[in-house]
Amino acid sequence: MTKVLAEIRDLRIDVRVTRRLRLRIVDTASLVINKGQLLGLIGESGSGKTMLCRALVGTLNRRGAYIQSGSIDFEGIDLVNASKKDWRSIRGHKIGYIPQSALAGPNPVMRIGAQLAEAVTQRGRKSKDEVRRRSLELLELVQIRRPEVVLKQYPYELSGGMKQRVMIACAIAQNPKLIVADEPTTGLDVTVQAEIMELLSKIRKEFDTSIILVSHDLQLINSICDDIVVMHAGATIEKLPSSKVTSALHPYTHALYDSRIDLVEPRGKLRTIKGQPPSVGKWPTGCRFADRCDFVKDVCRSTDPAPFMQVDDSQWSACIRHKEIYGGAK
Amino acid sequence: MVSIRGHPSSLQVAKLIKKRHMKLNPTSPLARKIFGRTIRAFSISFWVMVIAFALMRVTPGDPASARLGAGAEEEAIEALREQLGLNVNPFQQFFNYLGDLSRGDLGTSLVSGISVGEIIFNTFPLTLTYIAFSFLFAFLISVPIGVLIGWSNKASWVYSFRTFTSIVIATPNFFIAMVAILFFSVQRDWAPVFGYEPGFPGNMRYLWLPIAINTLILLSIISRVLLASVIDTRSEEFVETGIIRGVSRIRFFWFYILKPSLAPTIVLMSYMMGTMLGATVILETIFSLPGIGRELVSAVLASDYPVVQGTLIFFGVITVFLSFFGDLFAYLLDRRVKL
Amino acid sequence: MIKQIREYAALPGGFGIIVGVSMFLSISILGFARPLLIPYAPDELIGDGLAAPSWDHPFGLDQLGRDVLSRTLAAVPADIGVAFLGVSIPLFIGTVIGILLAFAKNRVFLSLVGSIIDGINAFPLLIIAIAMVTFLGPGLFNVVIVLALMNWARYARISRTRATIVLRENYVEAARLMGYPRRRIIFKHVTPNVSSETLAYALSDFILVIVIISGLSFLGLGARPPAAEWGSMIADGRVFLGEAWWITVFPGIALCWSAISISLIVEGLSRRDRAN
Repeated sequence: MTKVLAEIRDLRIDVRVTRRLRLRIVDTASLVINKGQLLGLIGESGSGKTMLCRALVGTLNRRGAYIQSGSIDFEGIDLVNASKKDWRSIRGHKIGYIPQSALAGPNPVMRIGAQLAEAVTQRGRKSKDEVRRRSLELLELVQIRRPEVVLKQYPYELSGGMKQRVMIACAIAQNPKLIVADEPTTGLDVTVQAEIMELLSKIRKEFDTSIILVSHDLQLINSICDDIVVMHAGATIEKLPSSKVTSALHPYTHALYDSRIDLVEPRGKLRTIKGQPPSVGKWPTGCRFADRCDFVKDVCRSTDPAPFMQVDDSQWSACIRHKEIYGGAK
Repeated sequence: MVSIRGHPSSLQVAKLIKKRHMKLNPTSPLARKIFGRTIRAFSISFWVMVIAFALMRVTPGDPASARLGAGAEEEAIEALREQLGLNVNPFQQFFNYLGDLSRGDLGTSLVSGISVGEIIFNTFPLTLTYIAFSFLFAFLISVPIGVLIGWSNKASWVYSFRTFTSIVIATPNFFIAMVAILFFSVQRDWAPVFGYEPGFPGNMRYLWLPIAINTLILLSIISRVLLASVIDTRSEEFVETGIIRGVSRIRFFWFYILKPSLAPTIVLMSYMMGTMLGATVILETIFSLPGIGRELVSAVLASDYPVVQGTLIFFGVITVFLSFFGDLFAYLLDRRVKL
Repeated sequence: MIKQIREYAALPGGFGIIVGVSMFLSISILGFARPLLIPYAPDELIGDGLAAPSWDHPFGLDQLGRDVLSRTLAAVPADIGVAFLGVSIPLFIGTVIGILLAFAKNRVFLSLVGSIIDGINAFPLLIIAIAMVTFLGPGLFNVVIVLALMNWARYARISRTRATIVLRENYVEAARLMGYPRRRIIFKHVTPNVSSETLAYALSDFILVIVIISGLSFLGLGARPPAAEWGSMIADGRVFLGEAWWITVFPGIALCWSAISISLIVEGLSRRDRAN
């Protein structure tokens, strides 16, 4: 029994901007997620992390995007060429989704109870009592007090934290194998953030659910994820266990880590990464971090594309000079 | 639009009144809001009556002499003024006016002697009938068009649709009517040029063309708004979540596409009712339909000022309440509407 | 110059705006230049009535033997000119009143005035116009008066809502805190912001007002014969629809042309807005 749940290999995603213009927004992304693993996906805005997730859940064509090449394997199902039947078996049942907290979340014209019922009855009919019982159970799982009251409420009556909890409840309703959480705590209070993160941890532990947690906050990801995948300018450039983040094998990961705000002494200088990530459509050849890298050499720009190499069991890096710079994995 | 969003004072006024009647309703937020808006609807209606009153007296030209014509004798004019209650001072007049209104007395026609209330009662049902049919058909056609085009998100469809509808909207309704009459009545005999025969089904022969014209105009207006709304809804995050959750097609259509997009359409429709009432004036004149619009025009031409005033009040109050119910209905449908 | 136009047209909505503006300018210029262009006067009785369109009279002759083309163009100052007045006056009055209202602090006063404005807005504009004409008497001048008296309320509503929002904006707060000399400076912030919205509404309103003016004339309550005005011309031709369609159709097309031109401009502007 393999422990791999899903694998994305060398994925390329393009988007149809106008009738004539296509842009590549993800170029060579690879990712493996195991059963019961909490995987963090981190990158700056525009790094392609959200699009990667959309590819995973199959909502690319809504935005005029499509998979140009590569493969996505989920429990043996090929998601790139999946049929409607395949998707019907996956959606709501095997994959759950938690949207960005900043973007409203639950359907504003439906009561919470109705939405939960929707999530709960994805497969086969259940009696009204069963549905209600399960809905209340889910709400309690996500630590919402007075769930009976909440069931009758509309989203606008809830706080941001509560809305996210409801979204989590809907996502875990059918006990999915994988949950994709796209920046689920952005915009929430710090305390609420911590609570939600704890909740996700707890869910993973109790139900052995794999979770992909997308964020731009390395702190957050580091605190609860087993492993971290780093993306930059549309490519996955490093994968490592979160315990090894201080001994990362790519300059970008180091730079991200070093620019954490809690590292700054009072009145000290903030460390930033120089430059901006290259914009979509204007990606340079070779390593796309080259212009911002402290260790750049000519070979970095000439090797195109920058290969995503396995360094050891648990670590991958796209930096071709990682051995010289860091002397290999520790 | 009649409803003003976010107007604190009316709610405060409502609360003030509520304080005296604390024991009455359960003060759920919704009930309070509805109560506040009802009070506001009534207060606006009050001003509608005031304005109707003021307009008829503030305008230069005396109603009585306008009615009797330039060459009438002084005594006749005075007698008419007395009959109309115009010889007392304005405040007294206003008082009488309010008193009459509270008894439901809108005055009596100077032309026919029939009470204005009765005239409205006789003529409004016809107007209401064909307007209602127009709205119904327009709505039924707008939904599939708006949803189909809006959801497809194909720029070319959207663009051509918007262009076509903006042309229809920009064309005055009487010109559309003229062309339609030319085409259907004069050159072919598919519709009578004008006239009316009461009683179903005979009246359909006379009504189908006005209804068709109204429907065309209305559906252009309504479907545009629905289209814009569907396009907005489409880009919302909760729709994405619904897709990923694998919601069934029918459910998805209603709860994730249509329902979140209807609110602006409903609000617009309630507002359009009022505007449509205005437009009926022209259509009824063209088609010689005995509805309230034509009645108003003949009253104006005859300087029959009680009828004009009464009809004005009627239109105004109807618009206020239609707007209010429209807003309320939209709120019940979609809580994002600000009541 | 052509290059600039082409650049402008390439931007979202630009094409519609250019077409709309050209359409509007063409008919306006033709209308005002009519005396120089058309040899026949609009009220000149030429020959037998109801003559079909011909080379001499491209739009034909109406029932009294007047040249329809000449009359159609002569109606431009009436319809478009009066519409312009009927929009700009309420625009100005309404915007100013709305801004003033936004500064009012007394809640009862605001509630009161708000209700009054809503009361005025409750009447469909055409209905009110018809009613008021009863006692002012017909005539285009009276129509302008009616519009000025009643239409400002719609602008006031938009203006007030917008002004209240703007007044709460951070940059206004900042200006006040920095002690900017009185409200003159705030007028420099508030007024442009508010005007952009009321101007946008004015553009759409223009279409409505043209329709009201011609509608009133159609009903016999606006322009008085023998004045040339599209609505009354359409009404005139109504009886002869079968035999002499040109009496109704050409003024109608001119009316549509004007309304559609503005509509295209509005469409183009909103496309531009959405693209941003």
